[in-house]
Amino acid sequence: MPADHVIRAQGLRKIYGKRAALDGLSLSVAQGQLYGLAGPNGAGKTTLIRTLCGLLRPDEGEANLLGWKMPSTRVRSQLGYMPQDFAVYNDLSVMQNLEFFGRLYSLKRSQVRERAKELLDLVQLSDRSRDRVGTFSGGMRRRVSLAISLLHKPRLVFLDEPTAGVDPKLRRSFWDYFNALADENVTLVVTTHLVEEAQRCHMVGFLMAGRLLTQGQPEEILAQTGTSNLDDAFIVLQERGEVAS
Amino acid sequence: MTSLAVALNVLRRILRDGRTLALIVILPLFFVLIYGNSFSGSYSDLTIAIVNEDNGLASVRTMEVGRVTLTVDLASAFVDALDTTVFDIVVLKDSDEAMAMVGKDAWAALVFPKSFSNAVVSEAVRSSGERQVEFEGDSVTILPSDPVAGPLTKLIIDDSNPLVAGAIVAAFNDAFATVLETQQSSVTTESLLDVQRLYEGEIRMLDFTAPGIIGFAMTLITVMLTAMAVVRERTGGTLTRILIAPVSAWQVTLGYTLAFSLIALFQAAELFLVSLWLFDIRFVGDPGAVILVIVLFAIGLQGLATLMSTLAKNEAQAMQFVLFLLIPSIMLSGVFWPLETMSGTMRALSYAIPLTYANAALRKIMLTGHGIEALTFELSVLGAIAFVTLLLSVISMRRQAYTA
Repeated sequence: MPADHVIRAQGLRKIYGKRAALDGLSLSVAQGQLYGLAGPNGAGKTTLIRTLCGLLRPDEGEANLLGWKMPSTRVRSQLGYMPQDFAVYNDLSVMQNLEFFGRLYSLKRSQVRERAKELLDLVQLSDRSRDRVGTFSGGMRRRVSLAISLLHKPRLVFLDEPTAGVDPKLRRSFWDYFNALADENVTLVVTTHLVEEAQRCHMVGFLMAGRLLTQGQPEEILAQTGTSNLDDAFIVLQERGEVAS
Repeated sequence: MTSLAVALNVLRRILRDGRTLALIVILPLFFVLIYGNSFSGSYSDLTIAIVNEDNGLASVRTMEVGRVTLTVDLASAFVDALDTTVFDIVVLKDSDEAMAMVGKDAWAALVFPKSFSNAVVSEAVRSSGERQVEFEGDSVTILPSDPVAGPLTKLIIDDSNPLVAGAIVAAFNDAFATVLETQQSSVTTESLLDVQRLYEGEIRMLDFTAPGIIGFAMTLITVMLTAMAVVRERTGGTLTRILIAPVSAWQVTLGYTLAFSLIALFQAAELFLVSLWLFDIRFVGDPGAVILVIVLFAIGLQGLATLMSTLAKNEAQAMQFVLFLLIPSIMLSGVFWPLETMSGTMRALSYAIPLTYANAALRKIMLTGHGIEALTFELSVLGAIAFVTLLLSVISMRRQAYTA
């Protein structure tokens, strides 16, 4: 396994009751890679991300981030995490949310202001920075959440469904931004249940019932399945997987 | 039919929520059991110190043989008449030592003077006329004599708890009445007793309950606010977001502690000022000592609330769990009725409630003017509760992030 792999997970298994949310899953992601985790609802995407971040302890297997076995406190300052739920303070304004989380990452007020300008432009909330988040729609809150996750310029970013509820035009600009971050050597793992979205990633992993059906560059997967888009590719892989199991 | 569907839906959802269902069943039972066992109405383990200097002799004038000395020992009879299920009696020889115990280790001290028996018998004969008694095998007639003026029986009583003080005086009156009845005496208890109250000024029931009520109000608000805030932080996902940042669970917990301690201090100031202004409650002690008690108490409360929030899946459950602290707090911590009226089990339970110690400490400061040096025990326990719950809340805070 190459040394520049910033995520290395081996044999991850997580059981809830009788159901395996992760079923012996292994994964490695290279530095500067935009890795898309695609799969239907309940495939195990969120469980995988939470396990990689150290928020869940796997029943078996282990995960290493930036060379540290998780859970580890040493990687936290370099880690950006956007959970699937909004995880923002509805009773605070956008800027107050950013300032609070900025303080947790030891950012100065001026640094927060500078970053806020860039990120609020990205999520198109510059004109609403003083508004209370509780007055926002679900999609807008998700945009605030994304801005918080990227505030401290993390080296490794986990984004759980960042584009859910976001309109297509803005969704496209998000993916452009993710690619730009990857160009700056930031590693991103982005989950989506919109399989076609994963086309914008360097690498894609198809997740189903806690297992990776396949992973590779989008073009490789299309060639492997003989399809013209990732939606069709996923259906083919899903059917193959069901036949195999 | 629509209403029925709504009702069925509500009930079905409650039935699916195991914790809420358990609370619906357990909470009323818990309430009744605590209430039934906490207030028996009778007291026990009230420590009193007794010094018996009475020589047990009565010198009387008889018709047949002149002045004779009878052995009657009425002070011992009085002590024997006291209910030992109510009182823990400490018999001492030194009256100063006995007096010094009051307010610390004893609720009251009673000192019988040397001539107690003589005074009672003389007064009995004087008031009810000649009577026949046995003296050295013969029947003799005791003649009335002049009243015997002597020192009264001295009773010094800790009146910081009007309920206990009232119960002690009532029990002493009963015991005196029993002894005086054997002497067919018209002497009243009051004429034999020199009652001294330990503290200056009257301590009203309002004064007595005020420290506990203020403590309870703090418990109610601090625990509810903290538990709701932590559950909301967890269910909203922000706790996970905080704990994935380079901050320790210690820092987060201390942040919470600081915020809620400030809120508790503000609430306490509000409660005290309004109580003093509107109801003129007794406050004879050091406000600095009160602040120390309140800060330690508030830290312990927020620690307990954080721990409770670990058990709750949502804010509604958190509210229900909080009741398991609130009900014993109001009933078992001695706010309304003294711990001495509770059964052994309930009293043991009361020692696990922070308000028991906060109430005791605040009473010492507010009612009797004791300083910090007299609060070593209460402050130590409140400090220990604060430290342990703070430690456990750090662990639970980390766990809540993992399980959010």
